Amino acid sequence: MISPAELICSRRVVVCVGTGGVGKTTVAASLALEGARLGRRALVLTIDPARRLADALGVDALGNRPSELAAERRDSLGIHGEGRLFALMLDMKRTFDDLVERFAENADARERIFGNRIYQHVSDALAGSAEYAAMEKVYELCESGDFDLVVVDTPPSQHALDFLDAPQRLLEFLDSRLVHVLLHPAFAAGRFGFRLFHRTAQRAIQLIEKVSGVSFLEDVSEFLLAFEGMSEGFRARATRVRQLMTGPETGFVLVAGASAGAVRGAVDFLDHLEESGVPLVGVVVNRIRLWPPGEAGALPEALSEDGDAAADTALLAQALVANGLEPARADEAARAAVEVAKGYASLVRLDARCTAELRFRALQDGRFFCRVPEFPRDVHDLDGLMRIGGFLVDDERRRTADGSSAAPVPE
Amino acid sequence: MVAEREPSLLERRLVIVTGKGGTGKTTVAAALALAASRAGKRVLLAEVGRAEQLPRLLVPNGEPVGYAGRELLPGLRAMRIDPFDALAEYLTLQVPARRLVNLVFRSRGFRQLMEASPGWRELITLGKVWHLEQLTDADGAPLYDLIVVDAPATGHGVTFLDVPRVVVSAVHAGPLRRHASLVAEMIQDRKRTLLLPVALAEELPARETAALVARLREDVGVAVDRVVVNAVIGAPFPPGLEQLDRDLAALPAETALGSLPPASALAACAAYLASRHALNREYTGEIARATGLPVVPLRYLAGGIGGAAELQILGDALLGEPRPAEAAP
Repeated sequence: MISPAELICSRRVVVCVGTGGVGKTTVAASLALEGARLGRRALVLTIDPARRLADALGVDALGNRPSELAAERRDSLGIHGEGRLFALMLDMKRTFDDLVERFAENADARERIFGNRIYQHVSDALAGSAEYAAMEKVYELCESGDFDLVVVDTPPSQHALDFLDAPQRLLEFLDSRLVHVLLHPAFAAGRFGFRLFHRTAQRAIQLIEKVSGVSFLEDVSEFLLAFEGMSEGFRARATRVRQLMTGPETGFVLVAGASAGAVRGAVDFLDHLEESGVPLVGVVVNRIRLWPPGEAGALPEALSEDGDAAADTALLAQALVANGLEPARADEAARAAVEVAKGYASLVRLDARCTAELRFRALQDGRFFCRVPEFPRDVHDLDGLMRIGGFLVDDERRRTADGSSAAPVPE
Repeated sequence: MVAEREPSLLERRLVIVTGKGGTGKTTVAAALALAASRAGKRVLLAEVGRAEQLPRLLVPNGEPVGYAGRELLPGLRAMRIDPFDALAEYLTLQVPARRLVNLVFRSRGFRQLMEASPGWRELITLGKVWHLEQLTDADGAPLYDLIVVDAPATGHGVTFLDVPRVVVSAVHAGPLRRHASLVAEMIQDRKRTLLLPVALAEELPARETAALVARLREDVGVAVDRVVVNAVIGAPFPPGLEQLDRDLAALPAETALGSLPPASALAACAAYLASRHALNREYTGEIARATGLPVVPLRYLAGGIGGAAELQILGDALLGEPRPAEAAP
């Protein structure tokens, strides 16, 4: 089993995947920060960070270029020596534009693509285009040689494979015979084996025209024609991108929430990831309620389901009075405090129950299983990332080991 | 000027529930559909997306209902709108030759073309919703009083609703334009259609909700009259003991409390709940301010959403009058 610390020390690319709303961005940023603390030139590529987190990281929303954490912040974060922390917020449209710039045959073709209505909507509408743009950027960043570690925060998607399949889908589409028929009807008509297919394709076109009106089809074929010239460069690059993402230099981390719904989504994700054969190295359950809040210790016996926490409420009432609380309210206050603790303990048990399957699945297949507690306030600064980091990378910043060892998992 | 009265939630024909991932929009859609059916409405609950979550929320061991759909509870039918199924149905209606449609649909090339083509999924899905809204029973009354759509997560959600309008502006003639216009009209009809955003009272969901509402109003022109704020943690301490977290935090670390957890842990629990409560309060207010809309707070259910009992609690709250932010949560 590779630990999170080993992961960020040994791999060049770490991809954080998971359903929306589970805190992928903060986990990705924490991993990058830990990488920098371990002496690597680390970059976190984010899609849509919370503004305050983006500000804390010094992300420049407009550049589509890496921005570096200010040197004077490094010391207090424990980043020494070669370690550096960079952040980049993905600009999808610009990444596509850069691709077109790079692979267009000539200025004319480039302008045709930029001016095409289908292309103008491509980054909004084309399935998987956000995923593809992110991967393209990762590849570019790795190629640049400026970074030892690139941590990717993937766009929220319901389906894990959107991320990996996007280029392949686009290529298959460009390769498909139907597209060739659309572009060069004569090409298919002249070839014996394609006759049957050709008839089907012709009918498909008639069908599309019937329901769509011709102008839409013209736009599509114009887009494809313009794109065709670049498809060779594009194809070669997409293949290399996929090789990088599925190769030994990359590790995938599944980030999950702790609620029943979030875990269901994560388990579905896990199934898809396993089928696809991507190098999944671990699972991080984010914002799980642990005992006591914000830490990872053992739930006290008195707060267990059949524990008797009420027995010593009087002691608490006395202590509160000794500390200046109005005696008339002390019993009520002590009872309320114990109720609050019991209520919180039941949330701890609920989260443990909900995540048990995920934990089992991860450990069974030799992956790390790591829990990051929900903190009283949401994390949106570098100190918060440091606290999360303490739960990802075992060290003195936390009290006990990760969920695979010390902390109890109540039934 | 006398403003025309906005229809109430249950007077609409179509409620589209959307929100950022993890906000519980599917739960809210299910709760609303359940509440409406209990109020005597004939309800269709349509899930858009790949994973079917609704059946198991609504009935014990609910099996997937698929495109054909199934009556899960009396007066409550559920279905999943798959774009390819909807496209096949649409083409069959448009092109009389069923065999031709089948032939085309089986071809790999057609599948690939559609996989990569933008926009049509949204259009055909909403087209199906329009079609369902138009259905009538034997007496000519609408077959469904209310259609609740569990729409894709925000981001995709705006694109989802905006496609018909884009198609109308991009395509100049033909059946596609005509049908897209009908769908766009339905979405923009304030009497029929309501968009119901679901948010969490936390920074990122609050910000996204404000952006979503702004875009929906400006670009899409759909009615949005309230924001559902889900999983709001209520006041954690009894009245008069609002300082309890601080009282506990002030206890000396070595205080002997017998079998109770140490004072620091008790204080941490109280601080946690007080802090989440304050955070929820702050961002509930923020959502109301940023959107200028009343909010409907749904309280956090500590036991999770196990089934119809919890959905009913949420549904009752949903049907209540939305409250201005100062009163919430």
